[in-house]
Amino acid sequence: MTADTWQVVAAVAVFAGAYVAIATEFVHRVKAALIGAGLMLVIGASNGEAAFFSEESGVDWNVIFLLLGMMIVVSVVKQTGLFEYLAVWAAKRAGGRPYRVLVLLCVITAVASAALDNVTTVLLVAPVTLLVCDRIGVRPEGFLIAEAMASNIGGMATLIGDPPNIIIASRADLSFNDFLLNLGPLVVVLMGVFVLLARWLFRASFTYDAERAAAVMDLDERRAIRDPKLLSRSLVVLALILVFFSLHTVLHIDPSVVALLGAGALVLVSGTTSEEFLEDVEWETLVFFAGLFIMVGALVNIGVIEFLGEKAVDAVGGRYLLAVTGLLFGSAALSGIVDNIPYVATMSPLVDDLVESGDGSTQAASLWWALAIGADLGGNATAIGASANVVVTGIAARNGYPISFWRFTRYGLVVTAVTITLSWPYLWLRYFVLV
Amino acid sequence: MHASDLAESFPVVHLDDDALPATRALAKEGLPGLVVVDDDGGPLVVLPASQVLRFALPEYLEEDPRLARMYGEREADNFCQALAGKTVRELMPSKQYLPKHDRDRPVVAVGDTLIEVATQMSRQHSPVVAVVDDAHEVVGVITVHRLLGVALQKS
Repeated sequence: MTADTWQVVAAVAVFAGAYVAIATEFVHRVKAALIGAGLMLVIGASNGEAAFFSEESGVDWNVIFLLLGMMIVVSVVKQTGLFEYLAVWAAKRAGGRPYRVLVLLCVITAVASAALDNVTTVLLVAPVTLLVCDRIGVRPEGFLIAEAMASNIGGMATLIGDPPNIIIASRADLSFNDFLLNLGPLVVVLMGVFVLLARWLFRASFTYDAERAAAVMDLDERRAIRDPKLLSRSLVVLALILVFFSLHTVLHIDPSVVALLGAGALVLVSGTTSEEFLEDVEWETLVFFAGLFIMVGALVNIGVIEFLGEKAVDAVGGRYLLAVTGLLFGSAALSGIVDNIPYVATMSPLVDDLVESGDGSTQAASLWWALAIGADLGGNATAIGASANVVVTGIAARNGYPISFWRFTRYGLVVTAVTITLSWPYLWLRYFVLV
Repeated sequence: MHASDLAESFPVVHLDDDALPATRALAKEGLPGLVVVDDDGGPLVVLPASQVLRFALPEYLEEDPRLARMYGEREADNFCQALAGKTVRELMPSKQYLPKHDRDRPVVAVGDTLIEVATQMSRQHSPVVAVVDDAHEVVGVITVHRLLGVALQKS
């Protein structure tokens, strides 16, 4: 599509305006994305064909339907009581000793975030954490902050764990296994470091009365599972979904199709009503994604992304280690300030150009991992850096334990600095030295 | 007939009152709710008895009602212990309890007619409204039973 100069200027202005509105929360993010998308259509930077049917510059339906499918899966799995069971089981297993409880809850949160998604995981784990802390007699703020961070770290391990990963996977044609094999080992290391760091960061939360903590043993986790049949059916379907995700290279079934079929199967075997299985579908998030894709697609249409991509390729000039370093640290810094979803949606076409310029080399392809790591871990930096953080601070406030922006950020900056710094040698060794 | 003719004396609680005796009074006297007054003595909110229950329950049970199943019988029996040593103010941290506008306060004037009182109760979904005089001081309350009893007799 050839564009006039005024169209290019107008499209960039619309994009920048919408981005500022989203970042500053001047208007609701969904409203900003929809107005931005609408204006792109009005000025002719995009059109119906490009916005809804183009793989390059339209709504990425793979992402939208993958998210929808997994949200339905989560709505059903949530009703099994599995998370409540696991959290109380962990607290009892730890004998009510606060640090051990925190470690086990963080591990459960990280694993569940990788298998489902991190926002839902913290929504389910946070209330039961409050119950456990209440029983032990410790303040829950440190536990909740740690869980939000563990969910962002754990979610990084898979294609479905964190929304930025879904966008990257779709744009870069990366599979579930690609994420697991490339980011999984790093996540294991980072989680190990994180729980050690948490011992020091949240030390004030670990003072407790051993006698009172024994009260946690009175909780009966088995009563959380009201319908064992629903639990076993849900676990079987969830396991099948994960197996099909990992067989992508053999079966060539898109993740979005797997998620939708899995959701359908789960709805059938669970016997839940439409109200129940649609309960956790975040329609706002899906519309927000659609608006963003149209806005970014408009910039692709009128050549802005291509222009920036060429400039980036020239600037990098084959120095991929430098590019990986810049992208890793830059993404972490920006994702702490703005929502990492629009950031990754914007950066993906640019990174695509950079990776293509590298003729398929491992070094060039590692830019995708730098983007994913930077965006996912950067979300830990501030209270608004990732959706999971916003959810956790909201639950804490409603329960009478407000966590201020700066309190979260004080811990977040330390965790982000440590995890990002440790990620750099991983990228360097794996894709530049040992390749 | 006016609101002042229907007004009955009714215990009101202040934000800084102990929550436990207030709740005891509610249970002992079979009241339909508690009238909470603000620092100036003006009626702030009427908490129906079912909402007063929420005082005793941690908010996380609202977030995830399945957690209530995990308590042992002994602890479940003692759930009202959460009220001990707490003031009404401490147990109402959430803004959802508070009226957004003055017009949302469960209040009627002494000169309001029965239909005005009924309209206010219906709008506020409240089984009790406070009757205030010109100085905005509580002179009594009208319960839904009292209102319906009189209104049905008249009809």
